[in-house]
Amino acid sequence: MYSVLKPCKTSAAFEAIPRERFSLDLDRCEEILKNVCTIVTNAGILLIVNDQCEVSIHKDGRLILKTDSQELATDQAGRIAGWLEGTPAIRKHRDPRG
Amino acid sequence: MKLVSLISGGIDSPVATYLMIQRGVEIVALHMDNRPFTDDKNLNKAMDLVRHLRDLTGSPIKTYVVPHGPNHIAFARNCQRHLHCLFCRRMMYRIAARVVEKEGADGILTGESLGQVASQTLQNIMVENQATKVPIIRPLISFDKVEIIDIARKIGTYEISTLPGLCCTIVPKKPSTAARAADILCEEQKIDIDALIEKSLEGMYVFSPEAL
Repeated sequence: MYSVLKPCKTSAAFEAIPRERFSLDLDRCEEILKNVCTIVTNAGILLIVNDQCEVSIHKDGRLILKTDSQELATDQAGRIAGWLEGTPAIRKHRDPRG
Repeated sequence: MKLVSLISGGIDSPVATYLMIQRGVEIVALHMDNRPFTDDKNLNKAMDLVRHLRDLTGSPIKTYVVPHGPNHIAFARNCQRHLHCLFCRRMMYRIAARVVEKEGADGILTGESLGQVASQTLQNIMVENQATKVPIIRPLISFDKVEIIDIARKIGTYEISTLPGLCCTIVPKKPSTAARAADILCEEQKIDIDALIEKSLEGMYVFSPEAL
């Protein structure tokens, strides 16, 4: 689900970019994720959860992983993807290029 | 003169504060804590900057910290996204104005410079000013970034300001650069602004000089 993991410009976090275009229903994400990690806040336009590290989940699927460890960030992105993959929280977009 | 200085963890606000201390102004620092939309490092940087300025100038700096995260949530949930930075700044000024009143200060001090980021266009600054009647002093308004960085390096704040820290994650992708006061006022009617200010002030605490 996430193919690119790059450090934020301040190097205080990592950003996970979705491999394909999709959007997230953050209220549904909250319903799913509250069973497996701590919900910090749901601001409507972004959801913040705490698991191995704090993660900001954006509607466009981007994740901001608040850790300076790439290994931990990669693992955390995988865990989030695993919990959300195949659920109604994800709305996949058709690629306009066909 | 006594000013309430809005200190973030960034480059500009410590420079603005330093310049005004050099002019003999007494400073009360106010840090708006943006967690959970930033991380702990930003609060630590802001406190390190205050400590550095205090040691550099020999001027005691009383420092307040106010939780600002709940204000972000209220605006994000209820108001137009592209105006978010204006709501944020107007709330900061309203809260700073209350600290001005509490401290018997004369105004608010910020590190804004014209055109540096989306929220700092002349039109946006005009709309932001309307949130309070307290004077807002902007000593860097005509400085460009290179000039500000030069001063920051000279006074030793640059190294602290550029330490790792997460930028605000709730900033919209396309922030308004030319907000209209009428639109802002209309959006703010969706929120109980007075209640948010009171809640913010309830959560306010003085950062102990001993901890510095």
